Amino acid sequence: MKFSGIRYLAEQGMENIAKNRMMAFASFCVLLVSLLLVGSSVLAYENISSMVGGVEAQNEIIVYMNEDVSEELLSETEMLIKNIPNITQVQFCSKEEEYLALKERMAEYDVLFDALGDDNPLVDSFRIKIADITQMNKTIAQIQQIENIMRINAPYEFVSFLTQLRTILTWVMGALISAMIIVSMVIISNTTKTSVYARREEIQIMKYVGATDAFIRVPFFIEGMITGFLAGCGALVVTWLVYDALVKMIENQVTLLNIIGIGSIIEFDTIYVNTALAYVLGGALIGAVGSAFSTRRYINV
Amino acid sequence: MVELKDVSVTYSSGVDALEHVNLKINDGDFAFVVGASGAGKSTLIKLLLKEIDATSGTVIVNGYQLGTLRKNKIPELRRTIGIVFQDFRLISSMTVYENIAFVLRVIDSPPKLIRKRVPYVMSLVGLQEKAHAYPHELSGGEMQRVAIARALVNDPKLIIADEPTGNIDPELSYEIVELLRTINMQGTTVLMVTHEHELVKRFGGRIINITDGQVVFDEIMEGTDYEI
Repeated sequence: MKFSGIRYLAEQGMENIAKNRMMAFASFCVLLVSLLLVGSSVLAYENISSMVGGVEAQNEIIVYMNEDVSEELLSETEMLIKNIPNITQVQFCSKEEEYLALKERMAEYDVLFDALGDDNPLVDSFRIKIADITQMNKTIAQIQQIENIMRINAPYEFVSFLTQLRTILTWVMGALISAMIIVSMVIISNTTKTSVYARREEIQIMKYVGATDAFIRVPFFIEGMITGFLAGCGALVVTWLVYDALVKMIENQVTLLNIIGIGSIIEFDTIYVNTALAYVLGGALIGAVGSAFSTRRYINV
Repeated sequence: MVELKDVSVTYSSGVDALEHVNLKINDGDFAFVVGASGAGKSTLIKLLLKEIDATSGTVIVNGYQLGTLRKNKIPELRRTIGIVFQDFRLISSMTVYENIAFVLRVIDSPPKLIRKRVPYVMSLVGLQEKAHAYPHELSGGEMQRVAIARALVNDPKLIIADEPTGNIDPELSYEIVELLRTINMQGTTVLMVTHEHELVKRFGGRIINITDGQVVFDEIMEGTDYEI
């Protein structure tokens, strides 16, 4: 095809939007709402996931060492723990520091501490944070292989609850997002079909005068792509405004933030590029493919 | 050139629309195809445009063997045929100029040729003053002239006019047939389907009568008001 032909088809696509502005507007609105439904579901899932992650991050495993382990052995143990996969942070807590901290916390029971005299009943320990709490049991089993360990304290029940919560959330939100995508596709397909149906005569005339299927589809494709692109831009702006407002509202809720962790809310600035790309490219792709597919029925003349 | 050899068309409903039709229309011919509603005229047009396939027999249009013609070659076949419909079928969102130029754009003609050819064809049908008008601003006769210009613009070998006078006044009908005659005199084969016997009687020429899916009459007749 010559350049003039390609330019003509591109111009036709853009002109079609102006000529069929009511249908184009209907497609725009449907695409906008669909993108918002899917987009907000994904963002909600990401945030809930991040909040669960925030709660997870506040939990730790404590490894208590046997009494009177030499400094050399402690260093060796620390190295061995650090080398275990899934462990992100290892903090050594000496029994002296822990004892002082305990005394401060329980200052009103100084009588008890006086009775102990110079004896320190505590042992050296390591505070450990892990990356994936679903792998906690495996990680603990690996820690237990190390010598000179007296006991390991881990939030087994809480981790089990969080793991279940995350699984349920993944399924529920996954089903919700899938449903949103299916509903959106059905609505978009019907809207583009209505738009194409309104111009079925035009398509038939094109076929009678010898237009190829590609020649007929390209303007619809471009028209759908532009409508989808604009809907994507619209969805981005709406999401940005609503999301920012919601984040500001949640940031004022101190109690809530204490539970979910300050860093658990995802700031829009950090997801701006991905969200923009997903909306704009997704919108353009759905619009273009939806329109081109919907012409199929009327093309077989 | 159009040639049908022992062609039959049976629809999936079991209706025999055409039965053992033999027909040959040579290049440069002008023929009226007449017949009552449901006689098989529309089926014949659909067949020639390869909108449907013959159940049996051979159909050749402008050198294309339609029985073996691949789907992706149909646009090529249709570019050798100009079609004029009873209901004009102009694109309402396009001006007269655009409705005609659009056919040339479909076949990827250079813009320079489009700018030259479209005004020429508009002048042939007497519509040069209406270039920027939209179909709804035209009379029935004018719309049919646009449809004829559209059929003519890419210089097809064959023009099929399906009841082109069905939606316009009798006086304008004569004008349309005159126009098709003029086009035919310049070498284009014209096949005009009509049920208006008065019109056929007046102009005369080759008359093909289809009744119950069969060609029952195919002869040249003298017109009452027209010399063959």
